[in-house]
Amino acid sequence: MAEVERTVEDRLREEYFSLLPEMHRVADRLETEIRYLLLPVSGRLQRYERLAVKSRVKSCESALDKLRRHQETRDFKDRPQEAYMLTSLNDLAGVRVLAFPRHWLADVDRRLRSEFPTWTPDPVKDGGELQAFKYHGYCPQASERVRGEYQVVSMLTGLFWEVEHAAVYKPDVRLAGITQHRGMQERTGDVAMALRAFEEQFEALARQD
Amino acid sequence: MKTLDTKQNILDDAGFAYNFDRMVYFNRKRKKIFSVEFVDDQPEEVLERKIREDTGGKEWKFYFNRDPSERAKREIEAALG
Repeated sequence: MAEVERTVEDRLREEYFSLLPEMHRVADRLETEIRYLLLPVSGRLQRYERLAVKSRVKSCESALDKLRRHQETRDFKDRPQEAYMLTSLNDLAGVRVLAFPRHWLADVDRRLRSEFPTWTPDPVKDGGELQAFKYHGYCPQASERVRGEYQVVSMLTGLFWEVEHAAVYKPDVRLAGITQHRGMQERTGDVAMALRAFEEQFEALARQD
Repeated sequence: MKTLDTKQNILDDAGFAYNFDRMVYFNRKRKKIFSVEFVDDQPEEVLERKIREDTGGKEWKFYFNRDPSERAKREIEAALG
């Protein structure tokens, strides 16, 4: 029987499952370290303030699609000879710190930054305005192949991203390309601005209490 | 609500649609395709010039940062119908 030629996707799926245990180790370790480092913050929260730490491992198809979308033709077949590697992605294992209200973001960022000084900053911005602190790097105790990523973001913005992802893009990973439409990016920016105004007003009133 | 980004306005006014799977702006009448990377990286003047550029209109013209292979061009053309 003739041997079936393996596609780039076949090879990447194999790579994904060989990396999966390390992805879980990185996510678990990063989440645990971050929770520990933020204990001084969570112990000082007012009754209306919140801090949440969540971790996740990227799904196989989501990882493949992200790598595919990094190609300008959105297709691995265009240059099958290239050495596509899932380890080139920064967010195979990720942790998100959600803080409410947003005045905690700088404090949380400072504490984590001092513990991960070699990690590369990659802030999320919208029209020049910071949306989230984001860093990626290695947890050598967990893996020397899988990079981890952590984000520090306002709780309302982070929850909006979760809703947006679950409701709009989850049904089909390819829908993620919609986020690159310039008009869509502006509408997302409008939501972020509205959430920020809501949060600032809430915080101003809560502080008067 | 903010006003639409200038590049998006330029593309809208010139009748370009967006294909989210290929992440390209395209216009069947003008037979032109811009990748989001090209649109992001080039200044508005270049984008306007490329939109106005006379390409004969018989074959699709690709405006990408990295020229796609002939095979990739055929697949994108097929996907856009």
